[in-house]
Amino acid sequence: MRRSKPGTTLAYVVASVLAVFFLLPFYVIFRNAFSTQRHLVSPQWNWLPDAVGGSTFTDVLTNPGFGILPALGTSAVVAVTQTVLTVVISLMAGYALSRWRTPASKVILGMTVFTLMVPAMVTFVPTFVMVSTLGWISTYRGLIIPVIFSAFATFLFRQQFLEFPRELEESAALDGASVWATFWRIVVPNALGTVAAVGTITFIGAWNAFLWPLLIAQDPSMRTVQVVLSQFMTSQGIRYPEMFTGALIATVPALVVFLFLQRWLVQGVERSGLK
Amino acid sequence: MALTRRTLLTLSGGLAATTALAACGSNTGRTPAPSTAPGTPVASADPSAGRPELAQWYHKYGEDGVEQAVKKWAAEYPGADVSVNWVLADYEKTLSAALLTPTAPDVFEYANGPTLDMIKAGQVEDLTDTLGGARDDFTPSVLERVTYQDKVYAIPQTVDMQLLYYRKDLFDAKGLTAPKTLAELTHAANTVADGSIGGFFAGNDGGVGVLGLLLMWAAGVEEMNEARTQAAFNTSALYDALSGYKELFDSPGMVKSASADWSDASPFINGETAMQWGGMWDLPKVIEAHGDAFDVLPFPAIGGSGRQVVPFGAFSACVSSKSANVTAAKNFVKWLWIDSEDKQVEFSNAFGTHIPAKPKLFPQATKVADGPGASAAQFVTDHGRSNALHWTPASSEAYSTAVSNVIKSGADAAAEFGSAAEKVTAELQRVAG
Amino acid sequence: MTPGPVARPEGATHRSGATLARSNRRWFWLFVTPFLAGLLVFVYAPLLWSLCLSFFDARNTVTPNRFVGLGNYTYLLADRLFVDSMVTFIAFAVFIVPLTFACSLGLALLLQRITVLRAFFRSAFFLPTAVSYVIAAMVWRMTFFNGARFGLANTLLTSLGLEPINWLGGENSWYWLALVSLRLWLQVGFYMILFIAGLNQIDPQLYEAASLDGAGAWRRFWSITFPLLRPTSVAVSMLLLFNAFQAFDEFYNMLNTVGGYPPYARPPLVYLYLISFGGGLQDLGIGSAGTMILTLVILVFSFLQNRLLSIGADR
Repeated sequence: MRRSKPGTTLAYVVASVLAVFFLLPFYVIFRNAFSTQRHLVSPQWNWLPDAVGGSTFTDVLTNPGFGILPALGTSAVVAVTQTVLTVVISLMAGYALSRWRTPASKVILGMTVFTLMVPAMVTFVPTFVMVSTLGWISTYRGLIIPVIFSAFATFLFRQQFLEFPRELEESAALDGASVWATFWRIVVPNALGTVAAVGTITFIGAWNAFLWPLLIAQDPSMRTVQVVLSQFMTSQGIRYPEMFTGALIATVPALVVFLFLQRWLVQGVERSGLK
Repeated sequence: MALTRRTLLTLSGGLAATTALAACGSNTGRTPAPSTAPGTPVASADPSAGRPELAQWYHKYGEDGVEQAVKKWAAEYPGADVSVNWVLADYEKTLSAALLTPTAPDVFEYANGPTLDMIKAGQVEDLTDTLGGARDDFTPSVLERVTYQDKVYAIPQTVDMQLLYYRKDLFDAKGLTAPKTLAELTHAANTVADGSIGGFFAGNDGGVGVLGLLLMWAAGVEEMNEARTQAAFNTSALYDALSGYKELFDSPGMVKSASADWSDASPFINGETAMQWGGMWDLPKVIEAHGDAFDVLPFPAIGGSGRQVVPFGAFSACVSSKSANVTAAKNFVKWLWIDSEDKQVEFSNAFGTHIPAKPKLFPQATKVADGPGASAAQFVTDHGRSNALHWTPASSEAYSTAVSNVIKSGADAAAEFGSAAEKVTAELQRVAG
Repeated sequence: MTPGPVARPEGATHRSGATLARSNRRWFWLFVTPFLAGLLVFVYAPLLWSLCLSFFDARNTVTPNRFVGLGNYTYLLADRLFVDSMVTFIAFAVFIVPLTFACSLGLALLLQRITVLRAFFRSAFFLPTAVSYVIAAMVWRMTFFNGARFGLANTLLTSLGLEPINWLGGENSWYWLALVSLRLWLQVGFYMILFIAGLNQIDPQLYEAASLDGAGAWRRFWSITFPLLRPTSVAVSMLLLFNAFQAFDEFYNMLNTVGGYPPYARPPLVYLYLISFGGGLQDLGIGSAGTMILTLVILVFSFLQNRLLSIGADR
């Protein structure tokens, strides 16, 4: 598509200014993590950090008293498992809800959308009591299973499949493929954009989850990284550098996963857009 | 979309109604029978050990070394296997949720002792007999907060208090004396403040949260009547106190935001403010930073019938009624917080600054033997006040909402405290019933 | 309004309902059962439990025995703080839903005009989605909108010769600026991606045809982009509405202090959270009743928004 030149220039200017604003908080986390307390609370604002070679980062990361390294492992297991299970369960449900229109599917779709309207707080205490009664406190089951049934993910997949070209499925059926085989070989590969989007969001949600793991992980060895880092973020005894170092350590893995998935996501989006 | 949003929403609406009906017919919200899954800590009657297993919870203390000490003591206890859960954040929420479940801790601490609703709901055990004759050893005002209908529901661990830190060197330079009234404090804050340092800091909420009750007490006003049937704070003395504080709040000497909240002395240490309302627990850090250049004071008196005041309270050990080993849990609490006086002294001395809960241990409490620490301990004796058990969290919330509205939005004090008093009176009647 | 240039293939859906074979039914249940079972156990069962609690005096217990009927509901509806909070956040929703919608769509359209470095800009706008609310709120309240002299916003103000502002203190209304900017920073990226996916599904030939007919950018947007984007727009605005009424994290993390949560800018969920979970308070009866009321309000506004969006749309 041809665009007018001044319009395009303007678009770049606007995008660049916005990008600076969107990226500034990341820089600030970095600046705060690599500064001294005195530098941060001095009367003048300082753009540059003053302790880039400082030891706060390695201290926080490797102090066995804090236990960040094992917590990163726990978080990784929880986030990856939760993401895979959520995507598979919701992918199947979302496909079924768009592919087969029966009274049952309408009811289930209604239940799904209604779930989106209900604040998660409603179910929080009863779910916690249930999980505790099941003996799932301080287990991976307790951390993962109650949170993998995502109405949000199912709803997004269902929306995606509404747009799915039926001809592809039909030609596969003519070739004698079963519904199961068609789903995995034809439908899913064509929905990778949404898979990546939902996967990204789920992973980030799982990685950043705080209140649920805090309640479930009563045994210190089951604590996730957000729970461990909360000790730097409590209001008593605030030390800015430690706090933002913790924030940096908690954020970087999510960003890496995110940038990795994004390439896939964009390809998927472009592909599903081709028709 | 083939299925329009309208039908979709109609559907979900109808569904909501259906589930509502279904709910009323059946479930009464009762917990299913507890499972005996192997992971459940309560069902841990390990026959080979023969010793009961206890879970004990603490909140995360900011002071270094507390965690190691309490874990060491738990390991030393001969009567049971005690595992300590050091809860990193949101202690009260995590604990109150856990107390609803079969995996509740057997022993736990609670700020100022359990709430009245925890006692009334039967969540904590009566420890009167566990305490026995040792009841007379504890400071009576500390014990009063954990006593309901003459039964004791928690054992005080160590006493914390709050006070006013001020920079003596800066005050001397400006010819100021230690403020004993709110008017003097306002004057001092505005005299000492200049471009490089602020006057008075009491939290990033402008002191509303931490000073709310103090403004009442310092003005000579009480929360409730003697019979605990009615709110008693809705008086003109309180309105005057609030307008006095609002004058300070609106003046240039007031520091409304700082690098940390009031519970951390960093703003005072960093030189952001010449006066800070803070906790005695930070005293060692302040001494390290300012040496002799600072001193401590109680909160100043307000108005004609006013008086100086400091608040104090104690984290106290409770035994959960849900515990599978109530007797063992009580024995452990008795051993640690009643009998082991060496550990109680260590708890007061070794980390930050605290006051023992038993007066007879005062001579051994080195941190409060001289200097500002001694003054602080004396303040508790002379001016100490603590939260009343009947001043429930709901009452506290209603009151501090009124304080915030009056100070920050300039709302009418009579109207705000009138409606707060109504809520508090309703709360008092509820808990009496 | 001109009819849309391409009709959605509705035929497929009519056919599937009529000719659903027995084996298809089996497939349907196979695909949907894991999700449905989880939803029933981990959402609907707790929801029913909560609903029951809302009719009981349930302080510090989940198995109450004092039935109070609608007492918790009437208490809340007479509670000035709860009603104020509901009213404030209805206004908030009316404001924030169109704003977030416009910002997300705006970013998506902006990226369409960009060819060089498009991936970079897309990442820049999307990246904040990866940050936790706790950490983002920390950056906002301690660095950007810190009321102290070393806050970034105050440094800029004083360098311009203006007085510093106590942003979050509540004596003024500036806290909305901090809260809304934080919310937008965290959320627009995700909705932007949904819009990009929607925009990519529009056939580029349509634009070329329209250009040949001499349609300007403005007309192309209203006659092609906006109508064809409708499925995405409807889904996004619905999610935004649910989100606005369930506002919690950015408010709680930004304004909660050692002294508790202030009485201003208090979303209904924060208020109810404090009642059912807050410092020492555990009133699950009133907390549950409040979330039921909130759910009902969300339901009502979903109907209203649905009404509003279907005006003038091709049905």
